[in-house]
Amino acid sequence: MNTAGDAWEPVARAIGSPALSDGPRGPSGGFGAKNAADTLADQARLPRGGGAARWEPLGMSVTPALDLRGIEKSFGSVKVLHDVAFSAYPGEVTALVGDNGAGKTTLIKCIGGIHQFDAGEYRFEGRPVRVGSPREATRLGIEIVHQDLALCENLDIVQNLFLGREQRRGLTLDESAMEELARTTLSGLAVRTMGSVRRRVATLSGGQRQTVAIARAVLWDSKVVILDEPAAALGIAQTQQVLEVVRRLADKGLAVVLISHNMNDVFAVSDRIAALYLGRTVAQVRTADITHRQVVELITSGVSGDLGLRR
Amino acid sequence: MMKGGPSQEDIRRHNLGTLLRFVHLRGPASRATLAESLGLNRSTIMALTADLTGAGLVREELPRGPGRRAGRPSLVVRPESTRVYVLAFEVGVDRLVVARVGLGGVILDRREGVRARDSDSGELLSVLVAGARSLVRKAERGAVCVGATLGFPGTVRRSDDTIMFGPNLDIGELRLGDALSRRLGLGIPVSVCNDANLGALAEHERGAGVGCDNLIYLHGDVGVGGGIIAHGRLLGGDEGFGGEIGHMIINPGGRRCACGSKGCLEAEVGERTLLAHAGREEIPDQAGRDAVRDVVAAADAGDIVAREALHRVGTWLGLGVANLVNVFNPGLVIFGGTLRDIYLGAAAQIRSVLATGALAAPREKVKLRTAALGDDTTLVGAAEFAFAEVLADPVQVLTRLRAPEDTTV
Repeated sequence: MNTAGDAWEPVARAIGSPALSDGPRGPSGGFGAKNAADTLADQARLPRGGGAARWEPLGMSVTPALDLRGIEKSFGSVKVLHDVAFSAYPGEVTALVGDNGAGKTTLIKCIGGIHQFDAGEYRFEGRPVRVGSPREATRLGIEIVHQDLALCENLDIVQNLFLGREQRRGLTLDESAMEELARTTLSGLAVRTMGSVRRRVATLSGGQRQTVAIARAVLWDSKVVILDEPAAALGIAQTQQVLEVVRRLADKGLAVVLISHNMNDVFAVSDRIAALYLGRTVAQVRTADITHRQVVELITSGVSGDLGLRR
Repeated sequence: MMKGGPSQEDIRRHNLGTLLRFVHLRGPASRATLAESLGLNRSTIMALTADLTGAGLVREELPRGPGRRAGRPSLVVRPESTRVYVLAFEVGVDRLVVARVGLGGVILDRREGVRARDSDSGELLSVLVAGARSLVRKAERGAVCVGATLGFPGTVRRSDDTIMFGPNLDIGELRLGDALSRRLGLGIPVSVCNDANLGALAEHERGAGVGCDNLIYLHGDVGVGGGIIAHGRLLGGDEGFGGEIGHMIINPGGRRCACGSKGCLEAEVGERTLLAHAGREEIPDQAGRDAVRDVVAAADAGDIVAREALHRVGTWLGLGVANLVNVFNPGLVIFGGTLRDIYLGAAAQIRSVLATGALAAPREKVKLRTAALGDDTTLVGAAEFAFAEVLADPVQVLTRLRAPEDTTV
């Protein structure tokens, strides 16, 4: 029930300040260090420009976890991505939207090291990196949850979470430590309905499987989690749960990239929306500054009012 | 203006409350963690813990699980969850819940009942009393009930807990809190609070709003309620009636509201309206959360009537949120009850209206979230409210509550 976590601030610092004890409301805010930091952050953000296409982070850190510029990719003579820019910030959900064939999947496969870019700049937490293989992406802290989830039906939840990365104690597997970590990770995602972590994946519902796949992605101190259509095959109740899990991941400080065709899902959880149209980035905007209609126009025509491709 | 400094006794009481509140909200903590987090030295922590242990509020034990650090482990201070508890009541239009909640916020036990929409206040009282009695009977021997609070979907006067108005649940002249307290005979008063205000409290203390001191909680049941937390405190207004977001007029001359006005947020986005838009208001046995969820599910499956209904409701909800964002500049807006389902099902419309309707500056950083406590927001809030007194002055309250027990047993 208690979502606990890092968001807690110390309940009281000052000794002997009776103001805290009056009334039912507890920690009274006050003028602690947190508020001062907020004020500074606000000031730093204020003078920036106006308009709908502003592009600064909502969180404290200004450095994007993922920052790609001028990305080019061709398969033989087929050009798939052209001059693509894409950023994802820690603590935020960035929705990646676009029509079928717009290049979303190719882009995330390149981010995850499955394909290599032909040209372009790839920065991870501000440093230029070269991601030559999925293993290198994993080492950086980039995890992708693919549509097919890639779970083993005949194994239980713990075995799936640690598949290929089992923890050992001496010569044997450290089952109790893995179980404990599985439990804390799942409860951190606020999953109350899972039951035992020793249940076989075959017995889980679609939403629960999706959650296991997401848990596996966040187990390893990952920094960026990319979810490809996580709610595509789910019923409404499960979709809602997965959306809340997605949101919680970002609220814990991860940079989350969400690929979805469902505009309600995109608007329900995202902080930013990046739209691809025919292999090009046509907009990267804050969700707070854009309407459903504009996003649909960007997806279908690559342009909406001032946003999108210059013609 | 100058006030004398707090007395030694004030400081001690304050520190006891602070320590107890810490383990109540954050869970068991080692003495070392407490010392660090509260900014007190370890010997003070030890003395405070001894006082709280003596009063039966906390206990100390060795940390569980394998110790990883070298040296003598710091003792862990745990709240006495099963021995110190409160009763939390949630009165909804369709459902009644009573829970025994232990120190630390653990829901130890609960009873749920349905309420017929045409039942009277006498029945309501009997069901609540029966539920509470069966919970108290199950409590561990020597456990002490330190408070009780009831969440009610209506306007409640702060000074005497009088229910002034419940548009969807009429209980007549009944003083619910007093009547309940008398019938229970536990020697503790039962506070009555607006349900959505308690929801705001709960989400702020234990839910999606932890760490955010300016938030707005919107609760959908039959009607729409709200709670506003500003500077970490519930905004009650002059008499405690504040936060009635559901009766903010957003569509002058719009649909008639149960309060007598027209075009209130509640009238435009409440359960009856959604069901009417979806052409489902005539179906018998179709009401409450499940009916709302059915509309959202139908919309998700592609039903155009349900989609249109959600779209219309989403537009008004977005407009309401835009007004709130402009007026209060909240860091967080939380959707609970049936509004969780409506938000997730109509987010594109809600946020589109927000994007065009709210000022850019307050809109930029506001986060929209669903309630982390799910269907228990009111209940958890009621429990937190009921714990307030013991957290403010732990040892005194416990001594007072235990005293009559010693004389009678």
